[in-house]
Amino acid sequence: MRRRSWVNRLATSVVMISIACTVAFPFYYIIVNTFKTQQQTSESPLGLPTSLSLTNYKNVWDNIPVLQSFENTLRVTVLSVAFMLLLGSMAAYGIVMRKNRASRRIHIVLLLALAVPFQVTLIPIYQAFVKFHLVDSLNGLVIIYTGGAIFSYFLIQGYMQTIPLEIIEAARIDGCGTVRMYWRIVIPLIRPVLVTVGIFQTIWVWNDFLAPTVFIISPQNYTLVLQAYQSVGEYTTNWPAFMTLSVLSLIPITIFFLLMQRHIVSGLAAGAVKG
Amino acid sequence: MLVSTRRREQVTTRLFILPLAIVFVALFAIPVARSLYFSFTNFGGYSTKVSFIGFANYTALFSNPTVLTGLSFTLVYAIGQALIVTVIAIPLAIALNRRFVGRNFVRAALFFPAVPSAVILGLVWTFILAPISMGVVNSVLGELFGVGPVPWLSTNLLARLSVIGVGVWSQVGWHAMLYLAYLQSIPTDYYDAADVDGASSMQRLFRITVPLLAPAMTVSIVLLVVFGLQVYALPLALTGGGPGYATYTMSQTIIQLGISNAQYGQGAALSILFLLMVALVLVVQVTILRRREARLR
Repeated sequence: MRRRSWVNRLATSVVMISIACTVAFPFYYIIVNTFKTQQQTSESPLGLPTSLSLTNYKNVWDNIPVLQSFENTLRVTVLSVAFMLLLGSMAAYGIVMRKNRASRRIHIVLLLALAVPFQVTLIPIYQAFVKFHLVDSLNGLVIIYTGGAIFSYFLIQGYMQTIPLEIIEAARIDGCGTVRMYWRIVIPLIRPVLVTVGIFQTIWVWNDFLAPTVFIISPQNYTLVLQAYQSVGEYTTNWPAFMTLSVLSLIPITIFFLLMQRHIVSGLAAGAVKG
Repeated sequence: MLVSTRRREQVTTRLFILPLAIVFVALFAIPVARSLYFSFTNFGGYSTKVSFIGFANYTALFSNPTVLTGLSFTLVYAIGQALIVTVIAIPLAIALNRRFVGRNFVRAALFFPAVPSAVILGLVWTFILAPISMGVVNSVLGELFGVGPVPWLSTNLLARLSVIGVGVWSQVGWHAMLYLAYLQSIPTDYYDAADVDGASSMQRLFRITVPLLAPAMTVSIVLLVVFGLQVYALPLALTGGGPGYATYTMSQTIIQLGISNAQYGQGAALSILFLLMVALVLVVQVTILRRREARLR
């Protein structure tokens, strides 16, 4: 009996590791080819590189303003996520503190916004942005992403209902003002949900393609994803360089994933089981 | 004194809600209302005077072959990938719930494709599926079976299947993790009780595990279909919407009409149809799947 379970476990391991390797294969493929010359790539697309040549990286780095795009993306992501968490947590606090019919109504009206994809509001927002000179501006992107505050609000509000509010009541009786209470008591209490929501919104904003492709025109304002997409044309014949650009744009989000993996998995579990 | 502090508190809590209310009005309520309004006017194009034209924009959409192709591929994609992901993710989650060597690596590797942008994933797969010698799928097929390069991205059917396939590849891991989270919340008592009653492993799977995964299926399928309808970046990076318009999406059509061609009326009409579709999917799925949950309980 024990022997059988041991064999079973080994079989599961073999099968699952092969599946995982198959799924991860595309990443292996593009990474190994960034270290090859074009000729080596066409001769053996799958083999490991014979020498560790960084020519492709130098080529891409010199010809494409990767760093500029990285800075743009970082700025937009940090500002948008900060606004989403601030506005979402403020409103969640305001709604949870006022348990009356009006706040329930606001809650339901806000729920409607979750069903509205960006494609639906795109054309009117574009026209308004033309009027306010926000097209081709990184601040314009930040405004668009701040719309994600409503989704953040729902997750934060859901979390606040699971924590005991007595501590807030006690602080209130002690004469703690509303603003101080929010900053000193509520924010530390809801830190776990802020981390989870922050991670998921970061991945969304960092990767988003729809808004930059519609709203950003000049190359100095490109985000990383848009830069990769637009520069691909320059390298249609030089495949290793093409792959190098893809790999370069994967690096930041991969580091983020590795650092935050624990939170991502636990957040997914918590969000899933409750939702 | 007490009354006045209460009042002040009421005012400040209201101020806490205000910024989000402004976001709602400026980025959702007004734009949706304006889309609805534009969809009944001839705004844009060549006319300077805006006048109501009833449902003309909507009827024009249904006689536009590009719009119809985009609509049909978007529906096929949303439903196709949702079905395939669900069928693969559940057994995968059950396997991930077992104990085996290398489990953490396997979980991370399966989840990772959900992390990068769909644009980058699409670009990566264009190399893999390319018909020339560097396209690894074709070179392997050529060596093993001696078949000529398969035009993965350049015939209508294969291009559509490739887009769906890459979509499944990128999402199946994280949906498996979602199911896994639910599996881990099933109390082991149920399985112990089933063992005492002499249940077979098939019975355990179909009588305990699958029914208890019903709520997870609601969440997972709703997410898959709603985000599937919004698909845009992946086909654009992989096939550019082609060959022809074979993998054109609704989002691409909205941008084409409403931004590039300045046909605001038609673009807005399509976006309103899009909103109705998403709303319909949400209402139908949530009622059907919730009912199923209740029945299985």
